[in-house]
Amino acid sequence: MSYISLDGVSKQYGAAWAVDRVAMAIEKTEFVSLLGPSGSGKTTLLRIIAGLEKPTNGRVLIGGEDVTDLPPHKRGVAMVFQEFLLFPHRTVRENLAFPLRMLKLPKTEMDERIDWVLGILSLRGLEGRYPNQLSGGQQQRVALGRGLVGRPKALLLDEPLANLDRELRQEMEVEIRKHQTALGIPFIYVTHNQEEALSMSDRIAVVRNGRIEDFAPRAEIYDRPKTAFIAQFVGRSNRFVGVLKREGATAAIDAGAVALATADRPGLKDGAPVAAYVKNEKIRLRTPETLHAVGANALAATVKHVILRGPYAEYVLTWAAGEMIASRPRAEVEFSAGDAVVAHWDPADVDVFPEKEAAA
Amino acid sequence: MRSRLAPWLTLGVPTVFLIALFVLPLLSMLVLSVWRTENYHIVQDWNLRNYWVLATDGAYATFLLRSIAMATAVSVICTAIAWPVAYGITLYGGRYKLLLTLGFAVPFLTGEVLRVIALQGLLGPVGLVNGVLMSLGAAPLRAIMYTNVASAIGLVYLYLPIVVTVIYLSLLNFDQRLLDAAKIFGASPARAFFEIAWPLNLFGTLIGFALCFIPCLSATLAPRFLGGPNGTLYGMAMAQQFGESGTWALGAAMGVVLFVLSIAAVFVAFRTVDLRRTGFTGFGRS
Repeated sequence: MSYISLDGVSKQYGAAWAVDRVAMAIEKTEFVSLLGPSGSGKTTLLRIIAGLEKPTNGRVLIGGEDVTDLPPHKRGVAMVFQEFLLFPHRTVRENLAFPLRMLKLPKTEMDERIDWVLGILSLRGLEGRYPNQLSGGQQQRVALGRGLVGRPKALLLDEPLANLDRELRQEMEVEIRKHQTALGIPFIYVTHNQEEALSMSDRIAVVRNGRIEDFAPRAEIYDRPKTAFIAQFVGRSNRFVGVLKREGATAAIDAGAVALATADRPGLKDGAPVAAYVKNEKIRLRTPETLHAVGANALAATVKHVILRGPYAEYVLTWAAGEMIASRPRAEVEFSAGDAVVAHWDPADVDVFPEKEAAA
Repeated sequence: MRSRLAPWLTLGVPTVFLIALFVLPLLSMLVLSVWRTENYHIVQDWNLRNYWVLATDGAYATFLLRSIAMATAVSVICTAIAWPVAYGITLYGGRYKLLLTLGFAVPFLTGEVLRVIALQGLLGPVGLVNGVLMSLGAAPLRAIMYTNVASAIGLVYLYLPIVVTVIYLSLLNFDQRLLDAAKIFGASPARAFFEIAWPLNLFGTLIGFALCFIPCLSATLAPRFLGGPNGTLYGMAMAQQFGESGTWALGAAMGVVLFVLSIAAVFVAFRTVDLRRTGFTGFGRS
């Protein structure tokens, strides 16, 4: 029996279903991300788990107990909000003490817990400050501390890093994951940022139009996208549209100016319109002198410009049918704008989906 | 040049305005209060007799205490009604929020006299309420015929819109999601209200309270038309000094006493309320 279960959970607003028949099972020590574009229903799903929204249908179970009809203050979960939502009229210490006061803990235990949180989040010395006297990063820490201090059954995080700058965000990603591992409680993390989801999660649920598109270990989500939407949304890919041709155990895609070879995909008919995705970093570059044969999974291109990302470079290429991007480590041969190159990739790195699905 | 002129203009104009129309008249009242009036003439004769009369003649103390009691009761009632009304508007008003709030101000479109007279027609001996009661064969409600209760009803009716508007504006700036946060962290809805919503709107509530309390202290119309023989309030007595009695100097002294009391009340309120504890930073939104 998993620790948190969602059983056919749906939420209707007017005529629209913000959450549509979602079933999930989350283990006690798992870090799970709900990843999806804005408006996909991921925050509504989180608020249903928290008890801030009542599902139209379905059940929510936490620790084996059906909490569907329990109000939020009786669920024993905690939450970290995107806008922090610290109590502006309370000091840092009082904000941290709030969940403990609601639990009616004895004074000595309250002091111990607050001290513990101040320590692990390096907030010592800020106890007496009011939230508006703190930087964004400090407010974020207090919000996280308020979430952890009551030792909740689960911590729900609603885009907690969206208001922080990039550097601070990456620092916090490591820290959040560290605390989750140490506490051994499930963290459910809502984000539209694939990097955050990929860097912290054990498993990622990709949410789209109120439904779970796929719920799988993060590497699987990234390496073997189950749907065209995931292929498009997770990672950065080049897209080729064409017609599938089956040839025994392999399949080829005639995409006009280029032919793609791929492993066969059962369920795709010969002659079906398909979309193929190849991730930027799976595109390799050679000089035309070292790779003459422009056949399947290879095309001649020109480097239009180079975006330097530090450890790797992104090459924007123009080829016969448009533009594509290749990400290469700086350790490899470097190219510069205007260079003629041959871009090529492995059949195993081509993800193929029916085109109708990709267009939807 | 413009950057140096702008603060002088924006702060200077109101300062001049305040001095000319507020401080000067107040000073003239202060001076008048230490003169005396005789047969409808002002005698420039420096003395503290007016204050001596106010301190020793029991009637004025009675009026004052009665006024304070009345103003307190009315302000408490107004606040108690205004809170759920304003809260309801912010929660469920949707796109009609502004319209609903403005609707409360509609009575302001008529004059205060008209509103009080209209209320007299409702509450008086042959008014709507007692008329209906009597035509149904019931005894008329004596409590609302020219009594302090009738005065209080009138004052509540007069000042409720102001209190609702002020508390509504305060609630408009209040982030309702803080209540979600409180509930997540274990507070029942009632607890969340008293821990979060009440303190964070205390400042607005106090302003609403004061904007009801202070005019109630000096109210003249409502007690005059709705109150009974035992209903003379301080403001009404003060107005009489400037009217029928012609004892302007005594009236001025009464005004000064009222002003000092109001200032003292505001001062005490601000000393007892820690603004930080109302989420008020004095620097706008951070």
